[in-house]
Amino acid sequence: MKILYKWLKEFVDVTAPAPELGLRLSLAGNAIDSVEEFIAGPVLDAEVTANRPDCLGHYGMAREIAAIYRLPLKALQPKPKESSEKAVDATRVEIDCPELCGRYTARILRGVKVQPSPDWLRQRLEAIGQNSINNVVDVTNYVMFELGQPLHAFDLDKLAERRIIVRRARPGETIHTLDGARRPLAPDMCVIADAARAVAIAGVMGGTESEIGFSSRDILLESAWFDPISVRRTSKALGLRTEASYRFERGADPEMAEMASRRAAELIQQLGGGEILAGVVDVYPRRKPPLVIELARTELLRVMGADVPDRDIEEILGALGFHPVRKDAERGTPDSPAVVWACRQPSWRHDVTREVDLVEEVARHFGYDKFPPRLPPAKQPAHRLPHAGALGLLCERVVALGYQEIVEIPLVDPQRDALFRPEERIPAVISNPLAEDASVMRSSGIVSMLGALEWNLNHGQRNLRLFEIGKTYEINAQGGEPVETPVLTLGATGLAREKTIYEALREFGFADLKGDLDSLGDLAGGLAWQADGPAWLAAGRAARISLAQSAAEKEARALGVAGQLARKIAEQLKLRQDVFVAEVRLDPFLAGIEAARAVRRFAPIPRYPAVERDFSLVLADGVTFAEVDAAIRALGIAELRRVEPADLFRGGQIPAGRFSLMIRVTFQSAETTLTEAQLADFSSRIIAALEQRLGATLRAS
Amino acid sequence: MPPRLKTVPDKWIVEQTLADLGDTTPERVEARFAEVRQRFDEQSAIHSADPETWRTFVVAWTGRKSGVLSLITDHWLKPASPELKRAVGQELNKLKAHIEAVLEQKRIEIEAAAERAAQARERIDLSLPGIERATGTRHLIRQTFEELERIFLAIGFSVVQGPEIESPYYNFEALNIPEHHPARDNMDTFYIEGTRGGRLLRTHTSPMQIRTMEKQPPPVRIIVPGKVYRRDNPDATHGYMFHQIEGLAVDTDITFCDFKGTVEYFVREFLGPKAKTRLRPSYFPFTEPSAEVDATCHVCGGSGCRVCKFSGWIELFGAGMVDPAVYGFVKYDAKKLSGFAFGMGVDRLAMMKYGVSELPLLYQNDVRFLRQFP
Ligand SMILES: [Zn+2]
Repeated sequence: MKILYKWLKEFVDVTAPAPELGLRLSLAGNAIDSVEEFIAGPVLDAEVTANRPDCLGHYGMAREIAAIYRLPLKALQPKPKESSEKAVDATRVEIDCPELCGRYTARILRGVKVQPSPDWLRQRLEAIGQNSINNVVDVTNYVMFELGQPLHAFDLDKLAERRIIVRRARPGETIHTLDGARRPLAPDMCVIADAARAVAIAGVMGGTESEIGFSSRDILLESAWFDPISVRRTSKALGLRTEASYRFERGADPEMAEMASRRAAELIQQLGGGEILAGVVDVYPRRKPPLVIELARTELLRVMGADVPDRDIEEILGALGFHPVRKDAERGTPDSPAVVWACRQPSWRHDVTREVDLVEEVARHFGYDKFPPRLPPAKQPAHRLPHAGALGLLCERVVALGYQEIVEIPLVDPQRDALFRPEERIPAVISNPLAEDASVMRSSGIVSMLGALEWNLNHGQRNLRLFEIGKTYEINAQGGEPVETPVLTLGATGLAREKTIYEALREFGFADLKGDLDSLGDLAGGLAWQADGPAWLAAGRAARISLAQSAAEKEARALGVAGQLARKIAEQLKLRQDVFVAEVRLDPFLAGIEAARAVRRFAPIPRYPAVERDFSLVLADGVTFAEVDAAIRALGIAELRRVEPADLFRGGQIPAGRFSLMIRVTFQSAETTLTEAQLADFSSRIIAALEQRLGATLRAS
Repeated sequence: MPPRLKTVPDKWIVEQTLADLGDTTPERVEARFAEVRQRFDEQSAIHSADPETWRTFVVAWTGRKSGVLSLITDHWLKPASPELKRAVGQELNKLKAHIEAVLEQKRIEIEAAAERAAQARERIDLSLPGIERATGTRHLIRQTFEELERIFLAIGFSVVQGPEIESPYYNFEALNIPEHHPARDNMDTFYIEGTRGGRLLRTHTSPMQIRTMEKQPPPVRIIVPGKVYRRDNPDATHGYMFHQIEGLAVDTDITFCDFKGTVEYFVREFLGPKAKTRLRPSYFPFTEPSAEVDATCHVCGGSGCRVCKFSGWIELFGAGMVDPAVYGFVKYDAKKLSGFAFGMGVDRLAMMKYGVSELPLLYQNDVRFLRQFP
């Protein structure tokens, strides 16, 4: 809402310059965004909050200023010269739907000369961003910006039977509105009709058929009060927002209707001559006695925590139109803690209905700065999120492994999402998306991760290791309930190590991903890997991972998947490098980390030396390291500590269909130094077991 | 084999006996030794430059078999007449001591020089980079969340979180925003297809106020970090998703002064001890009285600049005392309880504090951006 400084001064003798006035208004709750100079003088741009339709006019804003500076607000006293003929004899008004229209006033003007507006009016309207149309329409606008009351002028000659019926629209009824559109109406919409048809959409916009033009002579001036919800619903349904609907949907002042009409008549006569019929046709079904609201000092203290003197309270509430009157037993004792004021709700302040609303009125005009700050003592210990500790450990480790955290918007492209969505899962689809490529809540973190990798690859960043802590979303098939699942997603591509003057380069590979995940898995007591995976991972380079050490059911141990992105998908997404990804459900992982921490205890550091023995084996293709490890462990050698692969190759002297695996076995006793005889015994048992169980042959080294 | 160098005189006087040389008095002996010593001094100066020559020189003088000192012992001392033996012995010892001292001194010098040379060869170029292990980073938004959590944990606020796909009841109705409330104009909403009760993407973290109070009797002191969604066309400062952190404190004795103190504490912790706070009255359906919290402009420090539109202040977030109507939805006694709530845009706070010029940078996840905040 634009406020012209000079216009304000017609209602309150404010002397502060416009910028200072703007600051004071802001500090009382009427945010002023800027002050600009126009021909008509400085204009303040006010951001009026939704609860203050009374400030959508200069007079209401002047009332705020009067309260801020404790200045008198000038009374409105329009006195148009009326003829002896009465308006009630010239037209009739009926309200068929009093639930939608609480008051309707009609004033009749005859023989008005419709012509362009004078400069002063055009300049004022221009300063507040309004176009000038003709003197009559401009006056209705002018009065709306002055008093906050929307008005509408009808060409009386074009109203069938020269009368007004306020009713619900009829099924199938349409209207041609002033903006040039033909609009279908619905029975929950309130219209202004003449004896034949709808001539205006109540509180929203008039129709072209009864529009004021330069040939119009007789005018019916409407000033009414329409139900806010009805206007809002209608305006939303039609996609038609106007200055009038903006005010009505926030709640106009029903008492202002007649006053605004009188003010407009006075101005129209001044600018266009003519005759104003006496009085106004006023149908007012919604008339209500003003609400009485009490304000007790005890409540003010309870909410605000510091006091405000009687005088300030009474001046502020008085200036804002609440007529505070003391009603407590201690009348006469100023600033008593027991003071209670009876206040009257002004017709323009339907937002103030409760004691706390009065507290706010007092506080904002007294000044928020006058209340002393205080830090309330805590009475309870504060807690972080349930798994915050485990998540912290996990993030610390992912970062230490070289991954950079990303934050993603989970609204994604449904086609891309479908690539990574398990078939049985129902996605959470947005019914009113802004764009097709952001119209579904992602079913997997992978879809976002690949987007981030793609962005970086397209921007010349080729060696990437990224992670995200986020969620996946779906709709539960049984109950239609949304399900949000926290996940950790990893993505890597390019080099694991760049070439330097010290070291050679190395590409990131599956083993890097596995090693990184195992490092994370250590926090939860280790991971179990199973060769398998979804179709979007490369066959043979995909795994399902689960917690190795967990008492939980198999289902609850499952963490997620890891592997290399299938070539087909990579090509589809135009990723020209090998990409490795993993997605892990966070809840079981974090629970696993906590469980592992709970049972973790110190193990004595061995006092006797560890001894390593290498075995060079030749094995048939298909034999796994895990089988070798298991065969050795099955011997039950208590002193066995570790079995590690030390070298692996094919070809050379190794016949086709077989491969060479060197394993390094570490033995250590907690009680004694191992003797050569013991070690020889271990070695021969191991060799025998590998020969018998896996068909291994020992290679001379 | 390097050519044999001339390090000592040709078989010279030391291969003859003193008697052959005619030195029969102690004075003559002394003069003879002086001659040898002078020879040593001359030769050592000549041959010390090159380590290889020096080694030969040292052997020529001190070698056990045919070194000069051995020859003197054999030819001069051993055959000396009894009268001269004493004098020859004394002179020989003096000569030995002199030679050993010179050689020792020279040895130290040579070793030091060798060490210097070796060091010069092996010196590391400190301007070369070390071997850096690739380390990761946490996203600026997460870092900001952590900082905010730390600030509020320290004054007794517990962290809770809630669903992003919400019901209209928690997102709007229970927060005193009925269906046709104009406040919904600022909260254009995404809806989810086919969900019970027309689920939506929450437009703020405030639903957790209701969910928490429904579950927990007062006192309540929580913060709620999370993602929120508004159906706004994105630009440099607005996105259709952003992050908020909600705060709520409710008890029998929480007042506006407590609200103000908490907010001022936050601003000092987050923006530094010099940052000032200003509360401007405002309007939110679920707070009364309501306020916009402003802080001293971080760019100009309050003197006025383009960023703060020459006001010296920057709007941080909305807040206020919990509207009693909200207590009605959670069966709290509005006559006995009071409290405050706030909802901060974390993206905005992070952008402001770290000078990030455009919101999309936070979600492009360009590693060149991510690396700037290790
Ligand atoms: Zn500034």
